[in-house]
Amino acid sequence: MNGLERIMSAVTGTDADFQPFTLLLSLYGSNYTKNNSLGYYTNPKVWFEGQKAAIEAFDPDIVISPFSFPVEASAFGSELVILEHYAPNIKKPIIKNLSQIAQLTLPNIEKAEALQFLLQSNALLVQQYKGSKAIASPIHSPADIPALLMGIEMWIDTLLFNPIEVELMMKKTVEHFVHFGNELLANGTTFLVVPVNFTNPMMITEKIFNQLLPHLEHAFSQIKGPIVVHNGGCKIMSFIDRFAKLPNVIALVLEPTESFDQARNLIGNNIVLMGNLDGPNLANLSTEKAIKTTLDILDNRKHDKHFIFATSNADIPYDTNKETIQAVATTIRNFNKY
Amino acid sequence: MNSLQKQQALADLITNGEKDKAVKLLAEWSRESSFKEVIFTILEPMLVVWGKLWMQGQLSLAHGYLSGKVAEEFYLLASKDEAFNSSVADSKGTVVLGNIEDDFHPLGRRLVHIYAKAAGWHIIDLENDVPAEVFVDKAIENNADIIAVSAMMFTTAKNIAKVRTELDKHSLSSKIKLAVGGAVFKLRPQLVTELGADGTADTAIEAPDLFDRLLLQR
Repeated sequence: MNGLERIMSAVTGTDADFQPFTLLLSLYGSNYTKNNSLGYYTNPKVWFEGQKAAIEAFDPDIVISPFSFPVEASAFGSELVILEHYAPNIKKPIIKNLSQIAQLTLPNIEKAEALQFLLQSNALLVQQYKGSKAIASPIHSPADIPALLMGIEMWIDTLLFNPIEVELMMKKTVEHFVHFGNELLANGTTFLVVPVNFTNPMMITEKIFNQLLPHLEHAFSQIKGPIVVHNGGCKIMSFIDRFAKLPNVIALVLEPTESFDQARNLIGNNIVLMGNLDGPNLANLSTEKAIKTTLDILDNRKHDKHFIFATSNADIPYDTNKETIQAVATTIRNFNKY
Repeated sequence: MNSLQKQQALADLITNGEKDKAVKLLAEWSRESSFKEVIFTILEPMLVVWGKLWMQGQLSLAHGYLSGKVAEEFYLLASKDEAFNSSVADSKGTVVLGNIEDDFHPLGRRLVHIYAKAAGWHIIDLENDVPAEVFVDKAIENNADIIAVSAMMFTTAKNIAKVRTELDKHSLSSKIKLAVGGAVFKLRPQLVTELGADGTADTAIEAPDLFDRLLLQR
């Protein structure tokens, strides 16, 4: 079986030759290039060179196009800061006051350099791996990207106190999400990965969740392909049954402390569950501890055919020991699941 | 209604997103007693409980933000009250606060500012992207007790070590305490000592307690 077939076996619930898995290696690929972070996150060929080397080193079943939501937000005009050995971050949001929401223009996908970096990097992955591995493309949720356009504080404040501006903003971000998401799928992406930072109970109240959920439903229903809902570094269990029912959702990625058993009780056995090795924490683990944690997860999901092992949360850090990552991958491949 | 019941009534309003009603209710109770009594018997005890719930993941960031806004607006009302000002004429001390050089994540710092100010600290907020030398210069200029530095990412947090170097250079490490906070310190708690900090708090609500403890250590 190849990687794509393994992933499809998890979707359909059939046996594979070994446990399908993926690792978020977007940043880690920069270890394999001679370029600095600026070059890595602006030049598709440099990004792909690093990513291809990382993929060859660890051979995951899902390969992932650039994981950098700030890059996507920079296409709207927010200013980036790119620090060495780190993924880009937002330095200055484009929106400084609520009146600017009305003037916010959506980026032109064909012309915006940042979106072209994401699309061209994705195209290189598709060209190399289509048919042999599943290709996942992270895209910002329409409810999350406002935090990078106006800052977290202003977005929370808006969600709490300014419902009219929320509607105005969501109308724009849903349009962008649908347009950009369908472009990624048209280019050969197997599925989109959508974190839900601002629609989970660690960030917002249930009242706000209920206000935002119809926008997610409207956005997801217009996507012409499958969607994976990602925890985004936050717990999603409280709302997991609602996420599982969103249009086109085929899988959910749990946060590292969340229970697969609890999730199965809430959403049933047929939707794919992914996770939940803490990717950013991998740099802090000894190889032995990483193997044990991996085995604990594998043992817990041994009889779950709709399970894909994955790192949860954000990127595996740049300075993570290669041997530790390799040990995780080898442990998964050697696990006697079937 | 006793203090516990009032704390619960306040918490319920904030949970439901009713910021203005919460501030109005606090103001009403203040007229019945005093701003000082409401702050020390209702608002602050409720914030302490909320800090614990926030740490346990039982409250959202939006709840933390809301409670901060209520505290900020009520403290603003209190600051206009002559009786209250004379009762808290002496601040607990001075904190120079900011995000370290290259860090542009203001929310945690803003919340620390609100909670610490409400708890009686004089705050000098230098905002984002503050070089180590500026932290120390401002602390000297204002005779500060604490420098509080926020960082979200590992890369930017490393710049905090320069603040310790600057404090040592001026022989101020025993006089001015260095507090740190931000997401990276939850992920890598060993950083607190590695960077030469004197302490950290997991949430913004707990920052005033940290400052109290650090003040005692001087």
